[in-house]
Amino acid sequence: MNRAPAATILVLEDCDEDFETVLDAARLAGVTYNFRRVTTGDECIAILRDCAQAVAPVLVLLDLNTPQGDGREALRYIKEHERLRSVPLVVLTTSANPRDLDFCYDCGANAYHVKPVRHNEHLRVLEEIFYYWLRAVALPQEQEALTWKGNSPAPSV
Amino acid sequence: MNTPTTPPPDAPLPWASGPYSIKRHGVSLTNCDSEPVQTPGCIQAHGALLVLRLSDLTILQVSENSVEFFGETPKALAGRKVERVVGAEGAARLREVIDRAPIERNSLHAFTLPARGAAGTLDVCVHRVEDVAVVECEATGRGEEGAAVDYFRGVKAAVGQMQAANGLREFCRRLAEEVRALSGQDRVMIYRFHADLHGEVFAEAKREDLAPWLGLHYPESDIPRPAREIFKSLWIRPLPNAAGPLVELVPLANPDTGRPLNMTHCALRGASVMYSEYLANMGVAASLTLPILRDGELWGLIACHHYTPTHFPYQLRAACELLAQVATLQLKSAEQSEQLVYRLRPEGVHQQLVTKAAQDGELMALTDRQPSLLDAMEAGGAALYQLDRWWCVGKTPEPAQLDALAEWLHARPDFASATRPVFVTDSLARDYPASASYADAASGVLAVPLSRARRDMIVWFRPETIQTVNWGGNPHEKPLVTGPHGPRLTPRRSFELFTESVRQRSLPWSDVEVDSALRLRLLVMELVVARAERLAELNADLTRSNEELDAFAYVASHDLKEPLRGIHRYAHQLLESAQTLDDENRKRVEGLMRLTVRMDSLLDSLLHFSRVGRTTLEFVEVDLNEVVEEALEMVGARRSDGTFTVAVPRPLPSLRCDRVRVREIFSNLLSNALKYSAPAPPRIEVGYIGPEENAPRPNAPAESAGHAIFFVRDSGIGIESRHFEQIFRMFKRLHGRDEYGGGVGAGLAIVQKLVQRHGGRVWVDSAVGVGSTFYFTLQGKETRAPA
Repeated sequence: MNRAPAATILVLEDCDEDFETVLDAARLAGVTYNFRRVTTGDECIAILRDCAQAVAPVLVLLDLNTPQGDGREALRYIKEHERLRSVPLVVLTTSANPRDLDFCYDCGANAYHVKPVRHNEHLRVLEEIFYYWLRAVALPQEQEALTWKGNSPAPSV
Repeated sequence: MNTPTTPPPDAPLPWASGPYSIKRHGVSLTNCDSEPVQTPGCIQAHGALLVLRLSDLTILQVSENSVEFFGETPKALAGRKVERVVGAEGAARLREVIDRAPIERNSLHAFTLPARGAAGTLDVCVHRVEDVAVVECEATGRGEEGAAVDYFRGVKAAVGQMQAANGLREFCRRLAEEVRALSGQDRVMIYRFHADLHGEVFAEAKREDLAPWLGLHYPESDIPRPAREIFKSLWIRPLPNAAGPLVELVPLANPDTGRPLNMTHCALRGASVMYSEYLANMGVAASLTLPILRDGELWGLIACHHYTPTHFPYQLRAACELLAQVATLQLKSAEQSEQLVYRLRPEGVHQQLVTKAAQDGELMALTDRQPSLLDAMEAGGAALYQLDRWWCVGKTPEPAQLDALAEWLHARPDFASATRPVFVTDSLARDYPASASYADAASGVLAVPLSRARRDMIVWFRPETIQTVNWGGNPHEKPLVTGPHGPRLTPRRSFELFTESVRQRSLPWSDVEVDSALRLRLLVMELVVARAERLAELNADLTRSNEELDAFAYVASHDLKEPLRGIHRYAHQLLESAQTLDDENRKRVEGLMRLTVRMDSLLDSLLHFSRVGRTTLEFVEVDLNEVVEEALEMVGARRSDGTFTVAVPRPLPSLRCDRVRVREIFSNLLSNALKYSAPAPPRIEVGYIGPEENAPRPNAPAESAGHAIFFVRDSGIGIESRHFEQIFRMFKRLHGRDEYGGGVGAGLAIVQKLVQRHGGRVWVDSAVGVGSTFYFTLQGKETRAPA
């Protein structure tokens, strides 16, 4: 781990089972970051608006089809916001619609994954995401200087 | 000109040098168009005429028959006061009328001169011309006062009749009848001038035994220009005895001025020899003619013919004049109501046409239904160019001639005008000599373009005039009598001459007709635009509903998959906690997981299938050998482990198609061929049958004819023929779910849809235990044999 443990992973996910799977995968991958879950796009934007003043998350996982302001709006907000723009943003959705795919990459999403129905595959995709975005990839350094003041508890790993 | 009296063309005109008298100098056929009809120097012999100096009523000129009427020679009367003829009382009355009544251009009855000696009772009329008073004396024609006709009552009744008439033709018919009733003439015609100045008997009232002349047309030359001009300024022209003698004025010129008398408004004015001879040649002895004007122009004439010399007493003339004036005043409104009817008729018919075309969705209705383009327009034929061909009704030129004409029309700037795109002519051959060969059908053309881009148009054709009108020459086949000028002065001869002048010409198109054609054009174009808009709307709707369907398919698939993932997850977790499950339950949970996975692939296939029908294909030139190679790669047929063979015995052609979709067709068929194999190692063959090749095409549908047929042949288990149709249905499987490698039963349905999207057909030929061959075409596109 080359990041401060205080840093947080923001997850927009309205489905409890899918969020559980995220946590399962994090456990399997040995992720030590705190997870902050939001279930609507609006909530996601509200949280980010606060943290834009202070510290940004190390990774954002976005589901697209969520109630009350969906993942697309959150995606647009993040990529249009200067201080959030460089935060790795991974779209995780059930939609294989090429329109969604085009939209997300047009807005600047860093990756787009279709959630597999097979649980094993689902876990593996998530583990690979964590491995890649939290360990393998090199990201701008200034991210490290920021401190996440999020108050959500870290998952019990 | 074949008449002996014709002078050489350069002969001096008799009226060019000094006073002229028709009696003395005559007139010929070459100069009759400039004949000084207003100063003929002569009067008809049934009356006498005095020319008086306005200031003192001194007699300046006298007709040479003065002895007959006044008992004194012209010489004896010259220079005397008028009292010598009419007495003091008459002179005073004349003075009064001259000074007080509006008698310029209008002869007024001054008094009746009682019978004296040989001369009977005379009506004395007077009018002014410049500095002279013209006094005309004619027999009253009334034996006794009691026998006087009540003209006033007659006129009053006549006016009432005319006012009640509905439309112009009816108005004119009543006018003719009333004039005849009043005048007792053998025939009364309302003669109407057309735009090209030829005339038509528009209404007629006649003696029962006479042949009708109604509807006959007469050439322009039958009423020469000077005669037409003079009718603009006088109200009546009596000629009670056309063949009667003429008498000269003495002297011929006014001694005060040296000029001949302008006799325009003289009832007694001597007729042109041409006219009297023309009448005589038709057997007509007397005529009474009254002009009908419209807006100061000569619209027509009331022409009365009598077959014996007659008498037109002043009172009768005044009554007829009054009727003619009433006609002139009422003509405009009668004509306007007629025009309105005429304008409304095509309008109504055109509305019907367009409504019908709108219902049918096809403009061809304009030519092949009732009413058609011919019902609103007085035309012999009409042609509509639409959908790259001509639709004709009535008499029209041949399609090839129409093509050439259209070409010529499209090159004309007036045909492309933004405001009035119309071409109109009454002599097409004059503007477009190539049309001379079909001038009989198409001398008149009225054409409007419907669309610049597609060259659509409507053209109406009007035949050569000779073909359409009932020329006055025909019933006058045999001249009754022939005067000194020979057969020229007969309707028959003038008809023959006129035939030449109307060759390759049609009756002119009226403004109403041109406007009506332009309005029909707008109606049709509105219809076309409306249909284009409707089509655009439908397309937009279709696009929208396609997009909605697309979105729906994704949303449905998304929403169904989410719970599926949850189920799979819980099942997985159950399986993880192995100690809680015995073998039985473990199998059940595994089944649960397998079902969710299957459900997942069903949803994927469904989504894919629904999109195959709607996505846009991208047609490019594709080498099918490459496509088959890629498809083999995709289905793993290249990793041959010796258990099967795939042969492509001869190179496939290149083809315009959607590369990705066609690869999918091949990969689906190849994958099936591999899947449904008999225990023996499958042998697969990919090939094609060229459109011209002589090879069996089992079960081939008719639509496949003329197109390259591709096939994938296997040596597999085969299919019973009763399943040949069903196998292409979505989710249709012939075998157990897990037999032959499983699958959802979407492959062939997708193949069929992809083939159909290319415009092609797919079918199967198979025998159980022998193998199957799947054939398909990618129709409509030319195939090229490989180089």
